[in-house]
Amino acid sequence: MRAAISKKEIESALSKRFGVSSQARGKFSFETLTTGIAEIDELSNGLPRSAITEIIGATSSGRTSVLLSVLAQATWSDEVCALIDIGDRFDPASAAHAGIALDRLLWVRCANNLERAFKATDLVLQSGGFGLVILDMADVAAQHARRIVSSWWYRFRRTIEHTPTALAVISQTSCVRSCASLSLELKHYSLAWSSARKDFETASTSRVDRPKRFEETRLTLVGDLGQQPESCGSALTHTLLLRSSDLQINQRKPIACSPMAKFRTHTITA
Amino acid sequence: MFVCIYCQSVSEKRVRSDDGGETLIDLAFTFSPLVEQTSADTVVLDIEGCDLMFGTNPVFGEALGSEADAIRQRAAAFGFKVNVAIAANPDATIHAARNISGVTMIPIGAELTCLGKLTVAALDYSLAGIATDRAEELRETLALWGVRTFGELARLPLKGIAQRLGPEGVRLQKLAQGKSERQLVLVQLPPGFEQAIELEHPVEELEPLSFILSRLLNQLCANLNAQALATNELRLRMKLENRTQHERAITLPVPMRNPRTFLRLFLLDIESHPPPVAIVAVTITAEPVKPRGLQTGLFIPLAPEPEKLELTLARLAKLVGTDKVGSPELLDTNRPDAFQMKRFDLLRGRKKSTRNRQMALGNRPCVIGFRKFRPPWRAKVHIMQGRPSQINVREADHCAMRGTIVCASGPWRTSGDWWRKDAWARDEWDVAVVSLIGEQAEVLCRIYRDLTNEEWFVEGVYD
Repeated sequence: MRAAISKKEIESALSKRFGVSSQARGKFSFETLTTGIAEIDELSNGLPRSAITEIIGATSSGRTSVLLSVLAQATWSDEVCALIDIGDRFDPASAAHAGIALDRLLWVRCANNLERAFKATDLVLQSGGFGLVILDMADVAAQHARRIVSSWWYRFRRTIEHTPTALAVISQTSCVRSCASLSLELKHYSLAWSSARKDFETASTSRVDRPKRFEETRLTLVGDLGQQPESCGSALTHTLLLRSSDLQINQRKPIACSPMAKFRTHTITA
Repeated sequence: MFVCIYCQSVSEKRVRSDDGGETLIDLAFTFSPLVEQTSADTVVLDIEGCDLMFGTNPVFGEALGSEADAIRQRAAAFGFKVNVAIAANPDATIHAARNISGVTMIPIGAELTCLGKLTVAALDYSLAGIATDRAEELRETLALWGVRTFGELARLPLKGIAQRLGPEGVRLQKLAQGKSERQLVLVQLPPGFEQAIELEHPVEELEPLSFILSRLLNQLCANLNAQALATNELRLRMKLENRTQHERAITLPVPMRNPRTFLRLFLLDIESHPPPVAIVAVTITAEPVKPRGLQTGLFIPLAPEPEKLELTLARLAKLVGTDKVGSPELLDTNRPDAFQMKRFDLLRGRKKSTRNRQMALGNRPCVIGFRKFRPPWRAKVHIMQGRPSQINVREADHCAMRGTIVCASGPWRTSGDWWRKDAWARDEWDVAVVSLIGEQAEVLCRIYRDLTNEEWFVEGVYD
């Protein structure tokens, strides 16, 4: 209490002498980058530029889906994007199907080396000119992520502070903490399968026939061994069976409000 | 003062040699940097300022004479037999060299004395700027008048020449008198963009080499700047102590001429590919191109500066490896995970930006993302009634992949390239796994059974 009063007294004394510039600056309003997911955009207006966004969630919680959606929106808005992929998990085929313009994406593959990944992120941010930089730490174990020194995050935030670059960090657990201006926590809510589930449920009581092809899923197969492969336009086939998943977002920042939103991710239809 | 070198021998006459041999121009440049190539067999040098070599003007002493002999001797070494003439007037030297053998020195004011006996047929009308057809007319007229020599033409009254032959006649008379005034049309050598240096001591460390490269690059870029050119390719040749060469090349996506950028790129490259032994000589060559034109605008999207981006890409390549940085490009095949890394090029990206964004993205909803394991994880999968029921991934750190499969969709068979040795064939499943350890919720992943060796793998997870 005494310290708080002293702080006020000092600030008032300084402001008399030096004016308002001595006072702590208030929060800025950020320009934002649309995510392409209406529910998230309604919640947070998109990802803030000149700031760090943290996307947290467990495996299969929808983090990569959000990542692909944001990248698709950014690359097709003619923004140059960079992806620092620590675990080398990025799949170009699904990215192309998500609508990402791959020639506007700089992909840096760091072979599970955390230090190299952070140095690479620093190089990319210092270079400037990137609309969106993503640091994919989704496969970094929580105990390793928590050990990352805060000075890296402060450095990154300082680097992009007055630039139109948005930095998004994807991880299993919160590690950016106070340096992030927006923090989204994703949870897996439910799955919608095709009739494969029904087949499986009856498996315990009766012999299960080989799953049939479902016309509505528009499956395309390359032929069996020994047959000439059929030409197919889409390389991804089996994902059509996983028709959708519902994901839940708990917005954790700003702390004052923490609404929740649900959105659905879909499989690709040809 | 001017010196004219006229090559007598027709068979050995070489003005522009493509076989790398010495030319008349090369001979002339060994004596003066100001050279005019008047014709295929005649060059004129301006020796003004070359006092140390040719002696002090206007003294025609031993210096000029000995230097003229030196020119003939060097020409002989080049394979030419030449006449040399020295005078205060370039056209006088040309006429003297073409018509008088050996060395001719014409003192100032004595041009008519030396040239007066030459026939008018030896007059070079092109030196007076007279067109060919007009020159023919003038020759006929002079022949009709009975004018045979330079001296006779020179002594004709100026007024009469002007009235009868016009301004061309006046210029012709001045030419005959050796009093014509004109500037030399100098030969412009093609600018060379190469800088080289031989080192006094061999250099092994990068830091002293950086000073040497900086000096050469500064001069190279200054030469480019002077010619309003840039470069998009630089080659560095280092001669090593063991008499071998170590060569590196940098190719740039856009023309540049910033020496600091070039220096950083070279240093990063040399750090990745150091020479095996010490360096004794360095040569840098630049390929000149027109600089890029850039027009800024209000609505041009944000993009990295090409110079900064090039440096960043070089640093990233040094950090993670050249093959780990770039843009992914899908290959035209159905093989799983078929892509290649290509160089990140903003210009290529911009060309495709005219696509209709709405058509590309469409009204598609958010697509499920997939995270691929490279290499795929080996797994032990228990099959129950033809369907996977339990999965156990051998990588001990990934506990989430050890559990019960609560839902499975498949198998979906894919295969291809059956005509090649690396043919693939597999049965794929989408499964939801509930981990036996920890509080992990369902993990959606794709597993497959490799039909070539009957092993199970986890290809990746849906996220």
